[in-house]
Amino acid sequence: MSKGVLFDATKCIGCRACQVACKSWNENRSEDTANRGTAENPPHLSADTWTKMRFTEIEGKDGFQWVFTKLQCMHCEHPACATACIVGAFEKTKEGAVVYDAKKCIGCRYCMVACPFGVPAFEWDRPIPYIRKCTFCFDRLKGGMAPSCATACPSGALSFGDRAELLAEAKRRIETAPARYVPHVYGEKEAGGTCWLYISSVPFESVGFPKLGPERMSVFSDPLMHAVPPVAVVVAGLMTGIYWFSKRREKIAAHEDISEEKE
Amino acid sequence: MTNHWIDIRNSDCIMIIGSNAAENHPISFKWVAEAMERGAKLIHVDPRFSRTSAKAHIYAPLRSGADIAFIGGMINYVLTDMDKHPENYTMEYLRQYTNAAFIVNSDYGFNDGIFGEIQDGRYSEAARNSWKYADMNTPATDPALKDPRCVFQLLKKHYARYDADTVCRITGTPSEVYSEVMRTFCETGRRGKAGTIMYAMGATQHTYGTQNIRSYAILQLLLGNIGVAGGGINALRGTSNVQGSTDMALLSHILPGYLSVPNDQDGNLEGYLKRVRPAAISPRNLAGDKSLNWWGNYKKYMVSLLKAWYGEAATADNDFCFSLLPKADPKVNYTHIGMFEAMGEGRIKGLWCWGQNPAVGGPNATGEREALGNLDWLVSADIWLNETAEFWKRPGVKPADIDTEVFILPAAASYEKEGSITNSGRWVQWRYRAAEPPGKAMADLELMDLIVVKLKELYAKEETPQSEGIRKLSWDYGDRITADAVAREINGYSGATGKLIGGFGALSDDGSTSSGNWIYCNMYTEAEGNKAKRRGTVDGHPAKIGLYSDWAWCWPMNRRILYNRASVDLDGRPWDDEHPVILRYEPEMKWQGDVPDGGAAPVNKAPRGNRQLPFIMEPEGVARIWGFGRAEGPLPEAYEPWESPLKKNLMSGTMYNPCAFVGAYRNERGTPDKYPCIGTTYRCTEHWQTGIMTRNLPWLVEMMPDMYIELGEDLAKARGLKNGDRVTVSTARGEISAVALVTKRFKPLLVDGTAVHHIGVLIHWGYSGKSTGDSGNVLTAHVGDANTTIPEFKTFLCDVRRA
Ligand code: SF4
Ligand code: SF4
Ligand code: SF4
Repeated sequence: MSKGVLFDATKCIGCRACQVACKSWNENRSEDTANRGTAENPPHLSADTWTKMRFTEIEGKDGFQWVFTKLQCMHCEHPACATACIVGAFEKTKEGAVVYDAKKCIGCRYCMVACPFGVPAFEWDRPIPYIRKCTFCFDRLKGGMAPSCATACPSGALSFGDRAELLAEAKRRIETAPARYVPHVYGEKEAGGTCWLYISSVPFESVGFPKLGPERMSVFSDPLMHAVPPVAVVVAGLMTGIYWFSKRREKIAAHEDISEEKE
Repeated sequence: MTNHWIDIRNSDCIMIIGSNAAENHPISFKWVAEAMERGAKLIHVDPRFSRTSAKAHIYAPLRSGADIAFIGGMINYVLTDMDKHPENYTMEYLRQYTNAAFIVNSDYGFNDGIFGEIQDGRYSEAARNSWKYADMNTPATDPALKDPRCVFQLLKKHYARYDADTVCRITGTPSEVYSEVMRTFCETGRRGKAGTIMYAMGATQHTYGTQNIRSYAILQLLLGNIGVAGGGINALRGTSNVQGSTDMALLSHILPGYLSVPNDQDGNLEGYLKRVRPAAISPRNLAGDKSLNWWGNYKKYMVSLLKAWYGEAATADNDFCFSLLPKADPKVNYTHIGMFEAMGEGRIKGLWCWGQNPAVGGPNATGEREALGNLDWLVSADIWLNETAEFWKRPGVKPADIDTEVFILPAAASYEKEGSITNSGRWVQWRYRAAEPPGKAMADLELMDLIVVKLKELYAKEETPQSEGIRKLSWDYGDRITADAVAREINGYSGATGKLIGGFGALSDDGSTSSGNWIYCNMYTEAEGNKAKRRGTVDGHPAKIGLYSDWAWCWPMNRRILYNRASVDLDGRPWDDEHPVILRYEPEMKWQGDVPDGGAAPVNKAPRGNRQLPFIMEPEGVARIWGFGRAEGPLPEAYEPWESPLKKNLMSGTMYNPCAFVGAYRNERGTPDKYPCIGTTYRCTEHWQTGIMTRNLPWLVEMMPDMYIELGEDLAKARGLKNGDRVTVSTARGEISAVALVTKRFKPLLVDGTAVHHIGVLIHWGYSGKSTGDSGNVLTAHVGDANTTIPEFKTFLCDVRRA
C-alpha cells in the first residue's frame, strides 16, 4: 500500500518546524544565508535543504491572503527522475518513497532536468558530488514511523497515511467546506499522480506550483534519455551547462540584492 | 490561563488579541484548528497581518495601544444589545455571578478621563474609597440591574462614550470590520456558547496593560464566558515556565503562591495580615448568600511558608520568623525598570542575572547597558555567553573604562536537568534529565545549593541580627540537592507525622504544617507520589471535554478550569450541555467532571445561609466587573501611549495614564513631528526571547539570519526604500540598523483622518553569539504600567530611513 502525505495549506501556520525537523533527522548541514527582504530561507531546495516553506502574499478580489506551502520531493507514482537516470540510481519503493542510491550515481544530473518539480539538487561544494533530495524519510517509513517533518507539524497541516485514504480525506475536506478550498487535490493526477497531495484555498498556480497534465513525465523523457546514449551524454552536458548558467544567474541576482544594501 | 491549551478546541469563537499565537505559540494552533473544524470563528486583532491573521476568519487591524478603545466599544455594543435582546445573553450569570448588581459609593465620580482627586500620579485615599461598594461588609445589590448606582448602570454610562465611530477613529479599524468583530464575538453571550480570548505581551506591555486585561475580563463576564469550557481569559505565556516562575514569586511584589511581600510598615505578622488578608464581603439580595472568601486562609499559607523556610527556628513565640523576611519600602519600585533606574543612579552594587539577558531584553537597552557599568559585580548564570555577560566589551566601549567584575556560571540547559515546568494552563509537568551538562555546567538548583551552603558557612559564627536570616534558614538537602526533595518541600509536610500534606485544606496557621507554596500543595502526596509525573492519556471527563485530568497535575488541586462553579446555573445545570465542566451534582456523589471550585451544592439546592457564591477567591464571592483595587480606577479608560502620534486623546482631555511609571534615567521622549511612525516590538517563530539560545543554533540562524524590521509598501515608498534595503530605525533613545522587509502585510491605518504607519521591530538580536545584529530594545523607553511597571515595549514613536 503506497504511503502519502496530505498537506493542507489552510491549516499550515508557516512555523517551519518541518524544515528544521527534516535537517535534524537527516543531519543535514545548515546553509549560510542572508535576509533578502523575506521571511523565507534558505532560498532554494538544495543538497542540504530537502524541504522548505514558501510564503506567498496574494492580494486578490477576496482580500489579502498569505499562503504557506511546503516544497519537497513529491514522490511521484511514475518518477521522471527514475526513468531519466541511466544507471538506475533511483528506485520507486512499494511504500511510495522514491529513493536513490548515491553509490550508483555518476553525477550526470539527468534527474535534475527530468523532474517536473525541480527537486533533485546537487552537492556543488563537495569533491565527489551526489544528487540529494527528500527521501520521504524512508528509514523511518521502514521502521513504521511517520516522516520527521509530519511528526513535528503542530497544526495538523501535514497528515501521513495511506495515499488512497489521504486522497479520500482531501476530497472529504473540500466537500465539507467548499468555501475554504479550491476544488483541486494537487498531486492526485499531476504527472501521473504523486504520493504527496496538496489542498489549498488558492489555485496552485498562484503559489508557484507547475501546471501539469495527468501524463507521466517519463513518457517524454524515455526515448530521449535511453535511445542513443551518446546523444544523451551530450544533452546531459548541455543541460548541466544550462543548469549551471541559471544557478549562476540566481546567484548574481541574489548578489545584486545584497550589494545594493551597502550603498 | 483560566482554562488550558486543549480547552481552546471547545470554543465557539476565539479572539486572539495582542498575540501572534501562530508564530509564538505554534502548538496552540493544534487546538485552534480543531475548534475551527467544529465551526468556531477565529478573530485576530493586531496592528499587523501575521501568520495568525492569515488563518483568521476576521482580521481586524488596530493601532498599537488602542486596545481599551477597541474592547470598550465591544462592551458598549453588548450593553446596548442586552437591553434590546436580553434573551441572547446569560443574564442570570451576569446578575448572580458578577458584581454587576452591586451598589457603588455615591461619591464615585468620573470626569474627563479622571476618577477623582489625583496627586503626583497617585489617586488620593478619598478617591480610592469612592470606587468601593457603598457598604463593604454587606453591600446592597439590585439584581434587576436598574439602580443608577449599581455597577451595571455605571458601566453603561461609562462605555456609552465608546460608540463605534469614535472607537474606529482611535483604533484605525475599518468600521465594517469592527462591526463584524462585535457581532461575531458577542454571539458567544448566548447560553451554551463560549468565546475565548487568547492574549500575550501585545496586550500587557503598555502603560495601561493591566487595564487592557481588565477590559477583557469585563467583556468576558458580560458574556458569561468565565469558568466555562472553551471560554476564559487565556494568557499565552512567553516562555515554557513563565507560569511556574510567577507561581514561585519571580516578581518583586509577591512571595510564592501570590502572598504579598511584607513591607516596612507591617511591623509584625499580625500587622501584615491586617493589611493583606481580606475580610469576607456578604452581598445582600443575591440568590447565593455565602462568600467563602478563600483568602481568609491567608495566615495558614503564610505560616506554612515560613515553616518551610525557617523550619524548627520558626515558632509561634517568634512570629514564625516573620521578622527575618526582607521588607519592602512601599515608596520604592522594585521591578525591572525600577531596579535599572537605581542601578543607573549607582544605588545598586551587585546584580545576579539568572537566565536573564537585560542588555538585549530590557527597555532602553543602551541605558541599561550603561547602568550595568555602575555595578561592582555582576553574575551571569546562562547556557551561553550572552550580551549582559559581555556588556563590558560591547561595540563602542573600551573594556578598560568599565570596572564591573563579571562572573560567569555555566548553567545546564533544560534537557540537562530534572525538575518541573508549569505551562500556561497551570499544568505542572515533570521533566527528566536526558543528557549530562557539558563541562562544568550545572543545574541552577545545584548552583544555588553551593552558594547557600557557602553563605551559611561564612555567617555561621557571626551572631549579628542581619545574618540571622541566613543562619536560621532551613537548608538541609544533604550532599546532593535534588529536584525531588524541593518538590516535596513545596508541597509541604505535617510537622507531627513528617508525612506529605494531602492538600492546602489541611494547612494550618499554628506552625504544625509547612508548605513552600500553598497552591502547589496536593502535587506530591503520600498516596500518589509526585503527580507531575503522571502520564494518563485517557480523558476521564464524562463529556470528554479534553480535560485529561490524569496527565500531570494542575494547580489548584488539579482543577483544570478555574472558576468552574460559574459553569452551571443556580440549579446546578451546566450552561452548555455539550461541554459541561462540572455536572450532575448529587448530595452523596458531589460533582462529577472537573474538580469543582469549592465543592458546595448548587446555590438553589443548598440550605439558606450556606448558598455558596461561585468565585471563591473574591471576598464578595462574585467576579469583579467593577475592579476597585487597581491604581488608575475601577474601570478601564482609554489613554494614549506615552509616545503617541496623536495630538489629543479622542476619548477625554486626559492624554496619558495618569498613574503610569515614567523612568528618569536616560529616558528621552520622542514627539510625532520628529518620529511620526509607531514602532512595536515582537518575536518571530525561529528565534526566542533575547535570541541567545537560538542565535547560536545554525539550523535556526539559516532560517532567520539577520536582524530585520517590517514595514508597509506605502511607508517604504514615502521613504524611498526597497525590500531588502539596509535601513536605520530611530527613536529619541537611539538608532538601530536592520534589513527592511517591505510587505503588503503592513498597511497604514486611518487614525482620526490621518494615515498612521507601523514599523515592526524584532527583539532577538545582540552583539554576542553566532548571528549578531542590533537590538530592538535600543529603541524602547523606560516607562511602565501603572500597576505592574511592565515596560511599554509595544508602542513608541520612531522613524525609518535608508542606512
Ligand atoms: S518530484 Fe522529482 S525527484 Fe521527486 S520523485 Fe518526482 S520526479 Fe523524482
Ligand atoms: S519526508 Fe523526511 S526527508 Fe522528506 S521533507 Fe520530510 S523530513 Fe525531510
Ligand atoms: S510544520 Fe506544519 S504548520 Fe509548520 S510550516 Fe511545516 S507544514 Fe506548516
